[in-house]
Amino acid sequence: MTTVAARAVGTEADRVEGLEKVTGRARYAFEHPIEDMVYAAPVPSVVARGEVIAVDVAEALTFPGVIDVLWHGNAPKLERVGNAELHVLQSPRVAYRGQYIAVVIAKTLEEAREAALRVGVEYAVERHDVGLRADHPRLYRPERVNPDLPADVQQGDPDTALAAAPVTVDAVYRTPAEHNNPMEPHATVARWDAEGLTLYDSTQGATSLRDAVAPLFGIEPSSVRVIAPHVGGGFGAKGEPHPPVVLAALAARRTGRPVKLAVTRQQMFSVTGYRTPTIQRVRLGAHPDGHLTAIVHDAVEQSSTIHEFAEQTTTPTRIMYAAPNRRTTHRLVRLDVPTPSWMRAPGEAPGMFALESAMDELAAACGLDPIELRIRNEPEVDPETGLPFSSRNLVACLRDGARRFGWADRDPAPGVRRRGRLLIGTGVAASTYPVYRSACQATARAEPGGIFTVRIAAADIGTGARTVLTQIAADVLRVPLGRVRVAIGDSALPRASLAGGSSGTASWGTAVTRACEALRDELDRRGGTPSTGVTVSVDTTEENGEPSRFARHAFGAQFAEVGVDRDTGEARVRRLLGVFAVGRVLNPKTARSQFIGGMTMGLSMALLEESVLDREFGDYLNHDLAQYHVAACADVPAVEAYWVEESDPHLNPMGSKGIGEIGIVGTAAAVANAVHHATGIRVRDLPIRLDKLLT
Amino acid sequence: MEFLRPASWAEALELKAEYPDAVPIQGGTDVMVEINFDLRRPARLLDLNPVAELSRWSTTGGVLRVGAGMTYTSLIRELSADLPGLAQASRTVGSPQIRNRGSVGGNLGAASPAGDSHPPLLAADAEIEVESRARGSRLIPATAFYQGVKRSALAPDELIRAFHVAPATGPQYFSKIGTRNAMVIAVCSFAIALHPRRRAVGTGIGSAAPTPRRAGAAEEYIAAELDWDSRAALDPRVVARFGELVAQAASPIDDVRGTADYRRHALGVLARRTLTWAWHEHMRERTTT
Repeated sequence: MTTVAARAVGTEADRVEGLEKVTGRARYAFEHPIEDMVYAAPVPSVVARGEVIAVDVAEALTFPGVIDVLWHGNAPKLERVGNAELHVLQSPRVAYRGQYIAVVIAKTLEEAREAALRVGVEYAVERHDVGLRADHPRLYRPERVNPDLPADVQQGDPDTALAAAPVTVDAVYRTPAEHNNPMEPHATVARWDAEGLTLYDSTQGATSLRDAVAPLFGIEPSSVRVIAPHVGGGFGAKGEPHPPVVLAALAARRTGRPVKLAVTRQQMFSVTGYRTPTIQRVRLGAHPDGHLTAIVHDAVEQSSTIHEFAEQTTTPTRIMYAAPNRRTTHRLVRLDVPTPSWMRAPGEAPGMFALESAMDELAAACGLDPIELRIRNEPEVDPETGLPFSSRNLVACLRDGARRFGWADRDPAPGVRRRGRLLIGTGVAASTYPVYRSACQATARAEPGGIFTVRIAAADIGTGARTVLTQIAADVLRVPLGRVRVAIGDSALPRASLAGGSSGTASWGTAVTRACEALRDELDRRGGTPSTGVTVSVDTTEENGEPSRFARHAFGAQFAEVGVDRDTGEARVRRLLGVFAVGRVLNPKTARSQFIGGMTMGLSMALLEESVLDREFGDYLNHDLAQYHVAACADVPAVEAYWVEESDPHLNPMGSKGIGEIGIVGTAAAVANAVHHATGIRVRDLPIRLDKLLT
Repeated sequence: MEFLRPASWAEALELKAEYPDAVPIQGGTDVMVEINFDLRRPARLLDLNPVAELSRWSTTGGVLRVGAGMTYTSLIRELSADLPGLAQASRTVGSPQIRNRGSVGGNLGAASPAGDSHPPLLAADAEIEVESRARGSRLIPATAFYQGVKRSALAPDELIRAFHVAPATGPQYFSKIGTRNAMVIAVCSFAIALHPRRRAVGTGIGSAAPTPRRAGAAEEYIAAELDWDSRAALDPRVVARFGELVAQAASPIDDVRGTADYRRHALGVLARRTLTWAWHEHMRERTTT
């Protein structure tokens, strides 16, 4: 090929589907027009534990428009495979309040919702236990923690080292249950026909959803097609499959008609996962000069009685700082609650709140600047595995951030800076996120007219994935962006990993690169594009399977300035600044959005987000956006994101690390540390509510 | 559900007399939320939007008569000078979209203890004009209007037509505590109005009792303590005592937005703060005249 184009990777390319989105033409799951559609309205359990002993559908069936009512007595049988949360309407057992008990299918949404209220359910109620406690008698150690990591890791003798340490920090930090609230609630349109099942779904992974749903219905994955061209945010909530999509498929199977099911905002608080609450004890032992001798980080968290989800809360502590004696543990208790799931940086976000708050406390105990403390404990190699880091530029992030933020002249004394009635403080925290990559397939096709099409079942959940894959493909093919089409969001495309673990660009981008390289070679071999076009396929399983000789992680540093009203305790973030070391940044515009979005979510975690459990009834009291507060624009006056140059040849062909989650990691600790600097009050349980800041 | 659309006020009263269970709807920022959440299911909605006069205001005998359907946005635009306390409160309501739809009349109709317009209406001695076909119109003082959590003195066949309030003759302030900077229901709120000619002070407490209410003892105390003629600086002990009396007037509860103790504390802060702002303005006015 002779075409020479300017490099697209590294430029601020506009979103390729931007026009479609702003003009409302982009179709989201609920918007696909299907003929003969009917609507499903779920009936949720109103008890937290017990057994359904009778379901009376007679009245509901008399309602106009009602086609059918499904419950465990008449629902099609599912295969008992995988996550028991997905065995919808298969048993009379109630494992948590809000669990699906029945579903009404009707000609209109209004008729379905109305009739759902008329389904009579009789329960044998059992006493429920929904309270997470650090001394719960049923705590146990999970085999592995998400995604597949050891629950406990120990090196050296941390107990002896702690006992001997001249300086120690020993504190308990708590984070509450939090719920993802993407703009687009979960929605599915399910249709069965001779080919099998088609799902228009709001999902972070078309292939993985297909692979999870097919065995439930005892059919081959090839008989299920998942279509999700556009997704209005996910943050992890649309990563693992959840009950609604199965319920929609069941309802469609039973009625023989396409069924539409939209989860309401309120129902999202029961059936689409959440961030587990955590109780974390962190113990640090150090020399007076700040050098750590011991790090112990123990986390207690919850899961449901029907499925184990064990969050990897203490895993970032395994790689952050040097110390010869160290231990990280996870303990779980199974409660009568919905199953927790992924929420942006599951594990890292709450875990680093605890570790980075404790580091701030240690800095104060040693009389050291918190940045200097971190620099002194910078490890030579990964403390857990002994492997060298493929690249580790935490110190560069801290230094660059300090310079940009104006950290140099900071007076460490807490509670002394006043501006009017505000107490002003600044805080810093480090962040990290592991580098993940999964095997994918992709095809690349050249058309005679000079147009190229790359196909891969990737997902763009608002991140800009479609755009960055187009950039990657254009550069490998050495053509301008406008000549490349990237088809994603459909399980009929070559199989791909899901948008999770900040691994999308690395996983999909590798496959896209290899496919485009193969196509380029093929075109070179043929001396041009044949009149019928030419397509090549690749599979990165082998490449991805090669074990790395390196510990691979992204790092960053966040800085926050807060103002706290000394009379009312109202805390507001005045400035937020993050610097990240994430390999090569492929699209500065969409990358910046990921960073500032993550940091905004971290601010929200620090000050606002908390799902308040009603212990008596076992559900969340504040299950709507009027009461579950996420940060509004007015709460984020200045948020800046930067990145340091980082060249890392040990990652993937693009040289990139994931950027979707690192922005939230560390931010809450930076804010809490700033609040301490402002007020002298150390808040160890999030969120930092105003009543916690009254003296 | 029946949707009634009267074209005039008279027709609205007719319909309300005929269907006392009809729920009046103006901006829909409360009623529609309750319907969507299935908290209530009215047999009929009475849409007052076509009754144009409800979104206008006038002055008679030196008193403002503000139509119940006037949106917060129009109120901020047109009445900030005459009703500074209410205008300040209006600016804190919801989001721009909510302020474009929501109205003081709707706030009165809902009678939520957290409604932002109630404290300034109380502080300014507003009266609520309500009317029925059978008994004509009557004026209810704001103090008598709020009767319980989401309950008011409005009879089933009555509609809220307007509120009457004298333009401010002295400083008025409103302050509110929220957990974030926008789209937030008050954790607690407080309004103050100085009436220098009468040497009186009005107050209003929001979100810290079953109903919005005045802090009567605090009002009497501060009206007697303020040096209205010399306009001397405030004695910090007097300010502190005023804050205590306001806090004592509340009967708050713990809920997801805040604890009772916090609310009592914060009300004291808001009372001291708004009193100080108001008195400083009062002193400034003297200097400039």
